Amino acid sequence: MMNMSLGILLATPFIGGILAYLGGKIHRWVRYTLAILFSVLTFCELFFYYGTESANLTWGKLFGSLLVLRINNLSWLFAFIVTGISMLVVIFSVNDMEEHKGLDFYYMELLFVEGAMLGIVLAGDLITFFMFWEMMSWTSYILVIQNGEMSMKAGYKYIIMSIIGAYAMLASLGMVFGKAHSLVFSNVANALAKSSPGFVIGFFVLFGAGLLVKAAIMPLHTWLPDAHSEAPSPVSPLLSGVLIKMGAYGLFVLFYGLLSVQLLGNLIPTILPVPLLLYIVQWLAAISIVLATFLAIMQEDAKRLLAYSSISQIGYVVLGIATGSSLGIAGGLFHALNHAIFKSLLFFAIGAVIYRTGTRNMSELGGLIKKMPITFTGALIGIVALAGVPPLNGFVSKWMIYEALLQKKEVFLLIFAFVGSTGAFLYLYRFIHSVFLGQLPEKYENVREVPFLMQIPIWILSILAVLFGVFPGIPMKVISKAEAFFGITPVKYNLYGFPQGSAMGALKVINISSVLVTALIVVLVLFYTLPKSKKLSQYDTYAAGQIVTPETKYNYSYGFYMSFGRVVNPVFKWSADKIYNAWARALKVFGDYMRRVYTGNLETYGSYIVVLLTIVAFVILIGGRLW
Amino acid sequence: MVGKEILIAIGIPLLAFSIGISLMMFRRKIAARIQRRYGPNFIQPLIDIFKLLAKKGNITHGIMYDLGPIIALAASITVVFFIPMPGMKLMTGSADVIALLYIMVIGSLATALGAGESANPNSSIGVARALTLMLGYDLPFVIVIITLVLKYHTTNLYAIMQAQAGGSWAMWVLPLSAIAGIIVTYGALGEHPFDAAVAPNEVATGPMAEYGGKHLGLLMINHAFHIYIELALFVDLFMGGASNIFYFYAKMFVIFVLIIFFDEVLPRFRIDDAVRFYWRWPTILALIGLIIVLVK
Repeated sequence: MMNMSLGILLATPFIGGILAYLGGKIHRWVRYTLAILFSVLTFCELFFYYGTESANLTWGKLFGSLLVLRINNLSWLFAFIVTGISMLVVIFSVNDMEEHKGLDFYYMELLFVEGAMLGIVLAGDLITFFMFWEMMSWTSYILVIQNGEMSMKAGYKYIIMSIIGAYAMLASLGMVFGKAHSLVFSNVANALAKSSPGFVIGFFVLFGAGLLVKAAIMPLHTWLPDAHSEAPSPVSPLLSGVLIKMGAYGLFVLFYGLLSVQLLGNLIPTILPVPLLLYIVQWLAAISIVLATFLAIMQEDAKRLLAYSSISQIGYVVLGIATGSSLGIAGGLFHALNHAIFKSLLFFAIGAVIYRTGTRNMSELGGLIKKMPITFTGALIGIVALAGVPPLNGFVSKWMIYEALLQKKEVFLLIFAFVGSTGAFLYLYRFIHSVFLGQLPEKYENVREVPFLMQIPIWILSILAVLFGVFPGIPMKVISKAEAFFGITPVKYNLYGFPQGSAMGALKVINISSVLVTALIVVLVLFYTLPKSKKLSQYDTYAAGQIVTPETKYNYSYGFYMSFGRVVNPVFKWSADKIYNAWARALKVFGDYMRRVYTGNLETYGSYIVVLLTIVAFVILIGGRLW
Repeated sequence: MVGKEILIAIGIPLLAFSIGISLMMFRRKIAARIQRRYGPNFIQPLIDIFKLLAKKGNITHGIMYDLGPIIALAASITVVFFIPMPGMKLMTGSADVIALLYIMVIGSLATALGAGESANPNSSIGVARALTLMLGYDLPFVIVIITLVLKYHTTNLYAIMQAQAGGSWAMWVLPLSAIAGIIVTYGALGEHPFDAAVAPNEVATGPMAEYGGKHLGLLMINHAFHIYIELALFVDLFMGGASNIFYFYAKMFVIFVLIIFFDEVLPRFRIDDAVRFYWRWPTILALIGLIIVLVK
């Protein structure tokens, strides 16, 4: 009974998608109701599995290999992210997308993406995994290309890179199928344990490449900034918050489900603190962190800024997961959850701004704090969480990753991680300053707060960011069980943080936050007992004797970090995109030459055959052998 | 027992504030003497604070403008509890040095947000410069912190301090890291040549451009705390803390006077040059220090 319901859980979003599509033909509110109902239903169904150690459901057979669905605490954690964020995306879409055409199809796709991602995390064998993986690629591709020509281009890039990744993955599946004759995870793991090092490295590289494309680790990231910024506002949180986490989930399964630290360590004798293959992945992640952060600092488009920030934050997730130590893995998984929360929150906030103002160009915005206070609060919590400042959630997970790297003495990686984190303050401040602070342009005098349905996601995610920050023990409960399931000794933790002995130092977030709150109350009381202040307009400021008018207000917003740009711009003459374009050009030249050979003319082909046969005959005549 | 804890909870911030404000007082005097002036009344900074807090003509630009100085001061008071004083662990058991790095950011972030709402381009430029500078000096700073953690095998600040007791200061054991550390402290205090963020004759004191009255009063109190925090952290990390509060004060005083001597005679770096400087010389020194500890 329990087992069958795993199928029901997975089927719910798909059924919901089809019903929403059909319901939309009756009336638009039937569509909205059904879409919201089924996304909430999926989320609720998931809670029946809370704490399930392991449950399996065999749902078919292909090429003699069983097709299995399974759930454990790791799947549950990622399924929580998938269903939770998808639910909020559906709710947010109701108002945000109302002007849009083809909405029936849009909601169907939205729920299909949710279903596909749920399928990935519930997959118990590589065939199911790959099927849903591909389904996720094309359903999300359709969601990306909703916004005209620019988004078509972005989607094109996205799907090309996804397909290349998928081919690599498919090749690795073929490799291992020949050896294991079954693609159920446990069988694959057994087969890999007995394989030669070369085989394992080949499998690791091919399967890993597919995952790294989706996780957008440099240099495979180039699709992400375009796709995430060109996608419709409600889809961006889904892409940035959830979809790239599938790459991280896949990496976890690859490292610790299919392979193991011992196996990777035995593969190549190494003096490093972690196995060499993991070490390379860690370096890719660390480089992603720093370069993407610097790129984010230089952006003018709010959504592009957040997209680059996603590349750098997923770098932390991968960096943590690849440490191979219990604390680092827990930190990576925790950061995956946290990133889903705060990055979706930020994308919802900028989505709300775009909904009211119609632009995402930061230099055209400003001063919206007075018009959209709730959205501002959400964005503020989002940036503080992302910056890794206590007492919000991003702090705890980043702290765990830093401590894990310190324990392993991977100091150079740690320096990269720290610099990325400080760099985050720059682009986050730029984001919130240019959109919500600074000066309000006259054209936005009449902007109002977004409708209630669009506020719901912002509220919920803000509360979660604070809750998981002050009580990291809540998500750690699931994470430590997930670690135990994969045979990793769970890290010591309690509700408020980490006791002495679990890391190099101890952490008790509740103490930090209670001191902060007490001090805040004291200062607030002091502040409000002092004489009252008078409210001034934004034109009543110091401008060295000049009078500020709407025409001459000198808002400082465009090229906010231009002086920093002078330091880092030399690095950005290089870019992965340029290298790929050079490859594409080379391929085109090669193709042009090939076209001279393949003329499409039957007589030419005939002459080729004659020439070839002549050569063969000649070789045989002089007594040679062809093979 | 509870009475003692309440006494500590009130006494520690007051002590930190007194140290910070007295250093500000000495600073005015020393600077005046370097410039061959007599200088203001010794307790002038304190008088300024009371004057500002008592002002009746306060202005505000909105809620974040108000909250900026409030949160900044609250955050500074919080930080004081996580930096060990002589003989007192305070709350270092709840947050180690890595966490401290991020607790210390709350105040800067709050000031920046408050300045942002003031709708004055000078403030925005000042914040942009301050954050850029922060990215500059953070690179050598984290390398130095990592070096110390590796050296003493702990991230607990109190333990790091205790390990240096009896004269084996990190300053003598790791001289290169200490030099990098003092340059970082210098930048974190925003003195010449790293004062582009507040440069009064370019951006009208930057983030503070719009602030006046009680807001500015809070920011001045916050500045006193800031001086205490940066110097106390340096003393704890490199000079083995101290056995009593007077030695503690003396060490901070020496470092501060050293910084003032440079501050008074140097011109100003353009902000990207400041970043380049930090990413070059202190970083190289800190890296060499780190490699020495790693190899050992």
